Order: sequence, then structure tokens, then C-alpha cells
Amino acid sequence: MALLDVAANRLLPGDPIMACEFHDRSIGLVSLLSLAGLVIGAMLPRRVGGLLALCLFLSAWAVLLLGLGAEAARIVATMPPAARASLGSGFWLASSCLLVLAGGGIARVRRRGLGVLAILAAAGLLVAAWRGGGLDGLSLAVEYAGRREALHEAIAEHLLLAGGAVALAIPAAVILSLWRSGQGVVGLLVSGVQVIPAVALLGALVALVGGVLRAVPALRDLGLSALGPLPALLGIAAYLLLPLWRGIGTALRAADPAAVDAAEAMGLTKAQILARVKLPLGAPILVGALRVAAVQSLGLATLGALIGAGGLGRIVFDGMAQFAPDLILLGAIPIIFLSLAAEGSLSAVEAYCRARWRA
Amino acid sequence: MRPGLRTALATGLVGAALAAMSHPAVAAWIVAALGEAPRRGLSAERLLALATHHLALAGTGLALVAVLGLGLGILATRAGAASLRGGIDGIAAAAQAVPPVVMVALALPILGFGGPPTLLALVAYGIMPVLRGTVGALESVSPEAREAAQAMGFTRLQILLRVELPLAMPGLVDALRTALVLAIATTAVGALAGASTLGTPIVAGLQNQNVLPMLQGALATAALAFLCDAAMLMLASLALADRARR
Repeated sequence: MALLDVAANRLLPGDPIMACEFHDRSIGLVSLLSLAGLVIGAMLPRRVGGLLALCLFLSAWAVLLLGLGAEAARIVATMPPAARASLGSGFWLASSCLLVLAGGGIARVRRRGLGVLAILAAAGLLVAAWRGGGLDGLSLAVEYAGRREALHEAIAEHLLLAGGAVALAIPAAVILSLWRSGQGVVGLLVSGVQVIPAVALLGALVALVGGVLRAVPALRDLGLSALGPLPALLGIAAYLLLPLWRGIGTALRAADPAAVDAAEAMGLTKAQILARVKLPLGAPILVGALRVAAVQSLGLATLGALIGAGGLGRIVFDGMAQFAPDLILLGAIPIIFLSLAAEGSLSAVEAYCRARWRA
Repeated sequence: MRPGLRTALATGLVGAALAAMSHPAVAAWIVAALGEAPRRGLSAERLLALATHHLALAGTGLALVAVLGLGLGILATRAGAASLRGGIDGIAAAAQAVPPVVMVALALPILGFGGPPTLLALVAYGIMPVLRGTVGALESVSPEAREAAQAMGFTRLQILLRVELPLAMPGLVDALRTALVLAIATTAVGALAGASTLGTPIVAGLQNQNVLPMLQGALATAALAFLCDAAMLMLASLALADRARR
């Protein structure tokens, strides 16, 4: 498998560079470290073996990354300035194998927080290699250097769009759950929205918002327009209603009726029961619903770029239009990272709530 | 009428209404009502051709997802594979972090323009919900039923085919329904990679500010999703009725 693809410029398909064509011994070292990790993990007892294997796999990945960076810099230096060396399929395959192996090591040690620690260590390695200039030869780094500003702006827009949609959906979901007699209708509507493909909903919203703006031109003076963040926010928020609405409903029913009766007998008012009994007992479910909504929102915000709302999707779509794989990756990696970060951090909060208010 | 069938019928009616609205004459009227300048839309034949292609692509993806997801799900619930469960849940969470658009985008340089990257995204995004649903449905089969079958001298295969799968059927159909809706949506996104689906007029309309084909595409995609969902609901309700009779 090709570890690197070298091309005369960023758009041409590259020539593969195989592991045997490398000029230093980094690839040999990577295989040696991974093999050692496998053997040690199998031979030593659970805890120690798992920990040592994890360290070995992590260092194997670091060596792989730095080796590829060095090799890419060496090759590109001998070629015309437009030449690019991008990460090949071999690198992605090797990285996923090492990831699975490291995950196995973490599972064997069975220590809370070790996974987070390992991810932080890997991220630290990546940042250190980047700052140290060890990766500058790779096409992804060149692409980043050329679009640093645009990428940072896109990340900010993406977070704003996703966060705004969640902020819009939460009060809407609360209002919907307050309408007691209409829960059946609300359920049908909210789950009906999920059936509509996101591309279709966004397209229809552009047409609809355009029509509303034409009917009420005063809205235009507020800076609203048919193409842009407004329809994207509305569309994304519509999809978030189902997880949030369902979460609120389940959370409020989570309290044991006996606990509610006891609170009533103690003379607590309705508001007090809600604040002191129902909300704490339902908190893990509420956070869980928020987690699902946040991850969905970050993913859907990618499509916002299609209707001119900006965000990381714009970089991905630029890359697709130019058929430039590294530009696509430059947009895709932050999206995936943000989703995983939202998922990870909110499930940690969920676990904390569960432990804090265990009834 | 049974409630399941009624839901299916209502969903189907919504789908039919949306499909009627995507017809050039009706859509042109809606666009005029929204105050847009009248422009040329898609003919009904073109819309139908796109819908057929959309359905074929989504159907192929769904078939692959169903075979792989159900198969892996059955394997994962066999005794001896219990240690794989944590891994499956982890991979499922990780796969959900990659939105379908990004999946299509990442597959583009590897597989080129058109159907293949869309198909890859369909499989990659759809397989985990089916796998998870299958595992969940099979695990909800009561151990007593399994033990009774064992005591009656059923072989493992017989237990799977005659006890576990029939009892897990509602859960399995539910998982496939989710996968179907996902497949229709992902196929629409595939238009960005150059696959000719109902998403194509939406993307093209957004690019050259032509609202009529965009609205037609959006309505037709939503109509297709509702109609397919209705068909699946109907199937689920029939499967349940069949079981109740036995």
C-alpha cells in the first residue's frame, strides 16, 4: 500500500511511494514497535501488558507520522515548488490498525480516564510535530498554511451555526413539551421532520424564507436573507426537536411517582418539585438528549454551506469542486474532531450527573 | 383499522401530496405564490427518471446494508462474541461522528464522481444503525424462549430461524426502516458527488438561484422518503399481524 502520494501539483493524481522506497529506517522501526506491542501485550499480565502495549502503539504512530513527514519533506525538496506529497491509503490503514490495537490495550487496563489520556497524548504528539515543523512537507500542512485564516473563520462559523441551532431548538422543544393536550400531534410532526432528507428541507426553506422576505420586506432591513444562516439555522433546529422533545418527556417521567408523592406530602410546591426532584433525577437523560442533538447539529451544519451559511462545509465543498483531496480533508478533520469532542465531553457530563444524583 | 396500518396510510398520503406538489404545474404555481419570477422547471418525465435512479441507488445501498448489518448483528449476538459488543458500540459512536456529506466527500478522491462514492457513504453510514438495532432486537428475545427451544431439541440454526428471528422481527423491521430513511437522505446528498438523484435539481437550483427546480427536487425527495417510509410501515404492520394470527 502507498504510504505517500507524490504529485507535480495539488490537483494531479500522485505516484505512490511504497514503504520499501523510504530512505530512512522509520518504517522498520514502526513495524518493530507494533510487533513488540503485540508480543508484550499478549505475554505480560493484563494491566502492565495493556499499558506497555498502549505506549508502544502510541510511539509507533508517532514514528510513522514523523517518518512520513521527513520523507515527504525530502521528496518535495527535490521537486518543483508546486509539488505535493499527500498521505496515502497505507498511512490511513496503518493508523486505523494502530488505533484499534491501542483501543484494545486501553480496554485491557480498564482504568477510567486512560482513554482520554491516550487521546490527549496523541493530540499532543500531533501538535508538537506540527509546531516543530516535522510535518511541513505534507500536502495537508501546505494546504493549512495557505488557508489558516479561512479555516479558523470556518470553524468559528461552524460552531456558531451548530450552537445557534441547539440554542434555538431547546426553547422550542420546551414549549412543545408544555403543550400537554397536543403531545400526539407534536410527536407526529416532530418525527415526520426526521423523514425529510436534510438537503430537501434546506432547499425548501430557502424558497420559503425567500417568499416570506418578499412579502414582508421590512425583515430584510434586519439583515436577513433567503440564502445564508437563517434557513440553515431553522432547518438544523427542526431536526434537533425530536431528540430534545423526547428527552424532556422521558426525563420528566423518570422520577419515581412515589418520590413525587413524598415531596407533595412534605408540602413542596409544583415549582419546587420540578427543581428539586424531577430535574435532578432526569438530569442524565436531559444531558443525553443534548449530546445527541449537539452531535447531529455539528454534522448538519456541514450542509449549511450549501445554502451559503458558511462553516466547515464550505471548505469541504471547495475541495470537492476542485477535486483536491487534501482540501476536503482539511475541512473534514475538524468536523469529525468537533463531533467526537462533543460526544465525548457530553457523555462524560452524563456519567457525572448519573453518579451525582443516583437515587 | 389497526393503528399501525393507519400510520402507514397517513404517511403515504403525506408522500402522495408532496409528490403532487412537485409536479411542474403545481410547483410553478407555488413558486409564483412565493413571488419568484417564473422560470423553466423540470418536466414530470425528468423528475420521474431522477426518482427511479434515486430509488435504485438507495435500494442497492439498503440491500448491502441489510445483508451486512443483519449478518454481523447475528454473528455478534452468538455466544462467544460477547467481548466484541463494546467494540461495536464504540465503532458505532465513531461512525455517527462522520456526517454523510463528509463521507461522500472523503470517498470522492478514492472512487471518483458519480454513484460509487454515494454507495460507499450509504453503506458506511447505514450499517451501524442496522447492526445496533439487530443486536438490540435479538438481545430482547427472552432467554426462556431460547431455553424452551433448546429443551425441545432444536439445533442452534433452528433456534435462530424459528425462535429468535421471528420474535425479534418488530425490532429488525424498525432498524431497516431507519436505514431506509437514512439511505434516501444520503442518496440525495450524493448529488454533490455528481450522482444523478433527486438531489441534483436542488444542488443545481441553489447554484444558479433557480427556485423552481430546487423546490421540485426538494418536494420530490421528501415525497420519496415519505412513500418509502409508508411502505416499510405497511410491511411492519403486516409482519406483526401475521405473527399475531399464528
